[in-house]
Amino acid sequence: MARIQLENIKKAFGKVQALDGITLDVKDKEFFVLFGPAGAGKTTILNCIAGIMMPEEGVVKFDGEIMNLVDSAHRNVAMVFENYALYPQMTVYDNMASALRSKLYKTDEAEIKKKIQWAAKIMKMENLLERLPSQLSNGQKQRVAMGRALVRNPNVFLMDEPLAHLDAKLRNSMRTELKEMQANLGSTCIYVTHDFMEAMALGDHIAIIKEGKIVQIGTGDEIYYMPCNEFTAQLMGDPEINIIDAEISGSGNALAASFGINGSTVTYELPMDSGVYAKIRDRQLKRADIGIRPQHVKYSFEPAEGYFKATVYSYESIGNKSVIVSDLGDVRHSQLRMIAPNGLRVEPDSDIYIRLEIDH
Amino acid sequence: MAGLTLSHIYKRYDNSGKKKKVKNDFAVKDLNLVCEQGEFIALLGPSGCGKTTTLRMIAGLEEITDGEIYIGERLVNNLHPKDRNIGLAFEDYAMYPPLNVYGNVAFNLRAKGVAKDEIDKRVRAIAPLMQIDDLLDKMPVKLSGGQKQRVNIARAIIREPELLLMDEPLSHLDGKARQAMRTEIKRLINKIRCTTVYVTHDQLEAMSLADKIAIINFGVLQQFGTPAEVYDDPANEFVASFIGEPPMNILETTIINKNGTFFFTFQDSNLQIAVPKRYYSVVHDGFRCKMGVRPMDVLIGGEDSQGTPEEIATFENLGDERRIGIHVGDVLMMLITEDEKRYKRGDIIKLEVRGEKTHLFDTETGDRIREKK
Repeated sequence: MARIQLENIKKAFGKVQALDGITLDVKDKEFFVLFGPAGAGKTTILNCIAGIMMPEEGVVKFDGEIMNLVDSAHRNVAMVFENYALYPQMTVYDNMASALRSKLYKTDEAEIKKKIQWAAKIMKMENLLERLPSQLSNGQKQRVAMGRALVRNPNVFLMDEPLAHLDAKLRNSMRTELKEMQANLGSTCIYVTHDFMEAMALGDHIAIIKEGKIVQIGTGDEIYYMPCNEFTAQLMGDPEINIIDAEISGSGNALAASFGINGSTVTYELPMDSGVYAKIRDRQLKRADIGIRPQHVKYSFEPAEGYFKATVYSYESIGNKSVIVSDLGDVRHSQLRMIAPNGLRVEPDSDIYIRLEIDH
Repeated sequence: MAGLTLSHIYKRYDNSGKKKKVKNDFAVKDLNLVCEQGEFIALLGPSGCGKTTTLRMIAGLEEITDGEIYIGERLVNNLHPKDRNIGLAFEDYAMYPPLNVYGNVAFNLRAKGVAKDEIDKRVRAIAPLMQIDDLLDKMPVKLSGGQKQRVNIARAIIREPELLLMDEPLSHLDGKARQAMRTEIKRLINKIRCTTVYVTHDQLEAMSLADKIAIINFGVLQQFGTPAEVYDDPANEFVASFIGEPPMNILETTIINKNGTFFFTFQDSNLQIAVPKRYYSVVHDGFRCKMGVRPMDVLIGGEDSQGTPEEIATFENLGDERRIGIHVGDVLMMLITEDEKRYKRGDIIKLEVRGEKTHLFDTETGDRIREKK
């Protein structure tokens, strides 16, 4: 178990600067999520921690000790990948024992057995130990891969999109299981994902990575409610947050935001107690992109006070609720998404009246 | 008028040539579907359930073992695929790489010998609809997955088919592109109002796109209904657990009678839930069945709640919503709340369920047990 620190890590592949000054401090026993779109450099960070890649600049520390020159086999890190990489000819038991039986860890069989049984219990796969990988479902295979990492009692678990292979349903149930196991692991874990639900659900802290740089580090709530920029805001939440161009007028205590919609202008007063208000006032902004989550957009099919008119672009169910996408005409961010109940009769291209609840 | 009728369709693959002995069962078994003119139906099921086989039989790419298929009023059993007047869009785009987008879209019309200016008119008409107007000169290799799929669909609908068949057209695309494309398909189909059969294993896609969903398992139709029907009123346990994410909580239960009030009880758990009154006519003391309730219909009771206190096993904060898992025996029962309160593992909450959204299923067959009217 260890505290992992990265200081100003840089790594380039040819001309591409994959990591551009990454500094992280992962506390002992923390579940830390690296989150970002494909190609952001998340996996490269893991590889640098594992010692599979050497950074050109910067320091990797485990418990304060500089690890840059320690070879990956001796760093005692356990990696779990998207593909499970199990030995096909070995039973689950032997797969899990393989690392412990190697020269490096030479553990006696009784000890191995004890460890495997402990890990199997946490991963809920006690009944699978005698099976071959070909007799396992994908979810089970991934559990074996994690169990194999677990028995080694590593300094840190590095997990690279371990659930990305699985279909939506299995992924969600595995995520819940992982969350449950996490409490029993008692070990540092660095987890790479591009799925915001995984990041939110699992991470004690989340680092948002974009183009080799850290955009924001915080807890799930901090990142969801106080995203530091548009990029972060759009990554979190499904359906994604609406971003609207606004022109700010007024001064002092009375600020108002105006949106150009369908050629006309809609103005909202910004409530003084809202977070947006303080930010705009402090920076004396004249223009701002205001983000508003779909659940804070209200609609009506009749004209109403404080509502503006737009056109329905589409209406689709996303399970327990639906999303209406409306068209605001010829503006930069022309689509506005909002949450609606299932089973409405909404025809595309019909009129809809919308109100934004800016106070959130 | 019916757009498409499947009447008692069977399909059995001939496995006699294979060395390995395969169970010679039906891939599709007694399938009956009627799809109205202009309707969008989804064939939904896990992989290997026979949905693609069904689609291929409609297209004429697969022989029918038994039964009849009508497109409109025409019996098409013995009709060649090219004479069935259908448009196909599959998961792989299969475009002609040496032709540009325009050429690909126009290809079928050219093959049919449609006049050049007529082709041009139709390509130009369909391009803005599929938002490929500025891609027409590009070669297929230059296109993104989403663009390729748009070209692919344009190519299918330019022939003005009586019937449009799509097989997992979105499964190649990543999350965001898929969502955006789903919206586009929905809009497009709404505009052209072509009878469409859409194969998918993604329940969300089926729910959001289709007018009606046919849920298939092991080649047998489980339920055919609107998204709301299959979601709120599932015919059996399979449909209930397949539709919705996270899936419906389905728990084995024994019903007990406490002074005239019935309760669901669960093995290795002290959880007790009152049985909705409407089921009183079908249950009795010691009655065993399965109870199903969706995670959104499990609620956290307030201070004065009568619910049994339970310990939280998992708490996931997903931003938009929060999911809580509770152990009921060896099953993790999920509930979803939009409540802003943050819980943690080990907290005690009282559980309540929405009685009107509680379903009963037969333990053996999985069929719905319905209240007597």
